Amino acid sequence: MAHKTKRRVVITGLGAITANGIGKDAFWEAISNGISGIKPIQRFSADNLPLQVAGEINTFLANDYIERKLVNRTDRMTHFVFATIQEALQDAGIALAQENPQRVGAVIANTFGGLEYVIEQIQTIYARGPRFVSAYTAIAWLQVANIGQASIRYGIQGYCKTPLNDTAGGLDGLGIAYQAIQRGAADVIITGGCEAPLQPFPLTVLAYTAPCVKGDDPNSYRPFDRRAAGLILAEGAGMCILEDYEHARQRGASIYGEIVGYGQTNDANGFTPPSSSGKQYARSMCLAMQEAGLRTQDIGYFSLDGQAMLPSDAGEADALHRAFSTDVEDLPVSVPRTMIGHSYAAAGVLDTITALQALQHRAIPPTINCEELDPGYGLNLVRDETRPLSQPAVLIGGRGAGGINVVLAVKKV
Amino acid sequence: MFRRVVITGLGVVACNGIGKEDFWSACVAGRSGIRGITRFDASPLSSQIAGEIANFDPEALGLTPEECVNMDRGTQFAVAASHLAMKDAGILDALSEEERNNSGVYMGTAIASMENGEKLLVQLMGQDKQPSSDEMSHMIPASLRMTNAPACAVATHHQFHGPCTIIATGCSAGADAIGQAFWAIQEGRTDRILAGGTDSAITYAVMSVFCVLGATSTRNDDPQRASRPYDKDRDGFVMAEGAGVLLLEERDLALARHAHIYAELIAFSSNINAHHMTSLPTDGEPLRQLLLQVLDEAGITPAQLDYINSHGSSTPPNEAAETKAYKAAFGEQAHRIPISSTKSMIGHSQGAASAIEAVATVLTLEHQVIHPTINQELADPSCDLDYVPNVARPATVNVALTHSSGFGGVNSALVLVRPDWIDRQ
Repeated sequence: MAHKTKRRVVITGLGAITANGIGKDAFWEAISNGISGIKPIQRFSADNLPLQVAGEINTFLANDYIERKLVNRTDRMTHFVFATIQEALQDAGIALAQENPQRVGAVIANTFGGLEYVIEQIQTIYARGPRFVSAYTAIAWLQVANIGQASIRYGIQGYCKTPLNDTAGGLDGLGIAYQAIQRGAADVIITGGCEAPLQPFPLTVLAYTAPCVKGDDPNSYRPFDRRAAGLILAEGAGMCILEDYEHARQRGASIYGEIVGYGQTNDANGFTPPSSSGKQYARSMCLAMQEAGLRTQDIGYFSLDGQAMLPSDAGEADALHRAFSTDVEDLPVSVPRTMIGHSYAAAGVLDTITALQALQHRAIPPTINCEELDPGYGLNLVRDETRPLSQPAVLIGGRGAGGINVVLAVKKV
Repeated sequence: MFRRVVITGLGVVACNGIGKEDFWSACVAGRSGIRGITRFDASPLSSQIAGEIANFDPEALGLTPEECVNMDRGTQFAVAASHLAMKDAGILDALSEEERNNSGVYMGTAIASMENGEKLLVQLMGQDKQPSSDEMSHMIPASLRMTNAPACAVATHHQFHGPCTIIATGCSAGADAIGQAFWAIQEGRTDRILAGGTDSAITYAVMSVFCVLGATSTRNDDPQRASRPYDKDRDGFVMAEGAGVLLLEERDLALARHAHIYAELIAFSSNINAHHMTSLPTDGEPLRQLLLQVLDEAGITPAQLDYINSHGSSTPPNEAAETKAYKAAFGEQAHRIPISSTKSMIGHSQGAASAIEAVATVLTLEHQVIHPTINQELADPSCDLDYVPNVARPATVNVALTHSSGFGGVNSALVLVRPDWIDRQ
């Protein structure tokens, strides 16, 4: 049922679980007040790890959202998915029972799969033997579990995908779902990202291979700061209800904003963190701006990737200068994620949820911890306190290992 | 108006043949690639057979010495298959920077680089005290955290700067990656995409996980006859590894460079069962809906359909449901359309399977020969259609459909036609 003219895609519901707030309202309350959720890791002893702080979610109880049996058969990543879908659907005021199930889809990004569940099972296999492994392992572990379980719980029968793209997977998911609704492959898509990597084994791997800051300082995630030494890892999920604009209008939904542009490029530089060259990332910015028909003066702020490593920060600044030239001085930029840590596939979706709430509340959320902003970057970074926002659009950027560059443009309707 | 998308290059790494020639001649001859597992000691497992890629030589397949060292096995399969596909298309290392800016990579995986992670986890379990920071840095491969490695590695190998993504929809992942790539080219977002799937998950832990589900065949004493979709004695799928990559190109660009065009991709549809994580409804209803949807997208009738490359995983409930869906969707035509399962020869390579099956479907259109479903010995009354038993068959195939179903419930289908078929209508 491909439509000849591209349909408009709007966002009508939000759901969030982050280290500084459960639920989109608590999340915005914290993020707009510069309140950090980064704390010492509590779920296990991190004494033997090179890092001891993370964006951990301590007050979340899966039993509040799903029945015990399902809690036991699914991983923590999927618990986050159930909770955020429930919130986002309620927020959108949409009754799925009244929708054609074949026109409703789900696109849920994830990077690492259900690690808590599968690692325990692999240890069992090697310690006790293959017969002792749980029969639910395969379905709890694979990234596809999230859309599988969501489809069963909500009777979704349409277009469902699981994008996986390192730290940029969440934005990629929003882009894929946006394109699917645009071309008419679905009317409503539950779109988000989830991640639950705060376990001893994955944290060990990430601590030694990912661009993470070491140590126990909860204020050490400081992008564009002279002392920048990496990001702080986090868990969490963000969920958005994406809808065909006409569909949303007909049911009288309130609309947060519209996805108006999406650009994706690749540095093609192998298994390395985002590079110091912003050449391809600048192309993503231009692609998203062109598709959206946006000018610099329309943009309230650019939500940056801010990995807080010298090459990555330099590359992001380079891209901004290439794409915006001298206008970059007037373009407010921010990394609100400094308050919740980097939750990989959830991160880009949470940045988008922040952006949509920023448009609603007319406030640019700040970057924290950047006390010694490196002036060499030439960036207009919003620090410590919100700034007023009057323009209609926000750009959200994300980069990932392997050279992925994604930029999403959202705008008020 | 959507642009048209054609297939101009094929690369395949399968257990019965590497490269399109070896793979296709093995498929037409009905040769199985299933053997006893050699990658680890499988004796404690109920299922001890798999479709392993024997004698995989990454360097001979175009990988650099660095790629041979730094990449996990599944990623190497993907790069090797993409190298074969670009060579086949005649544009290996031949694209300008601007052309590479408009070239992307979409790969499907279900399990991805499990082997290295499992090895490290076991290594750490066995240690009495935590290794030092220095030791740890040496123990952990840099690519271990990169679950998107197969797509990024292919993009890096060919210096493609367009969109690059992994779709991880279980056993439909490869077809989904191809479908997403098709849409991206149709809509004018990109001009060419290397699309396909890869997986290398024949490990002790992964096999244990599937064995406990009773999902895999236990015909350990007769591996080549273990994968037997539609046969009454089928007892589960056979685990396999491999990769399939196709070069998708915008049609006018392919015509302009006088490329050999294998086929035109004219439709992609996808849905989800919303039923159960590991089984499909016995009436085949979601598959019926999908088949009708993809024919509608393609603008064709069941009477025009010449061939189906099925999911056919050798799982007792799957093939019965599949057969019901064909009958419900195609009516009387279901008995006329030849159906064959590539998995009967190469087992189930997870995220790679549907991409390798897309390669097989394209080769069917190219050679006008339908490869058989092997191991058809005992008829199952619930599977009473034409599954092209045991022997390949020459046929006129203008329009072909390939579909897949998987863990989590995603079903996807692609419709491919002979390069000139649309214009002859």
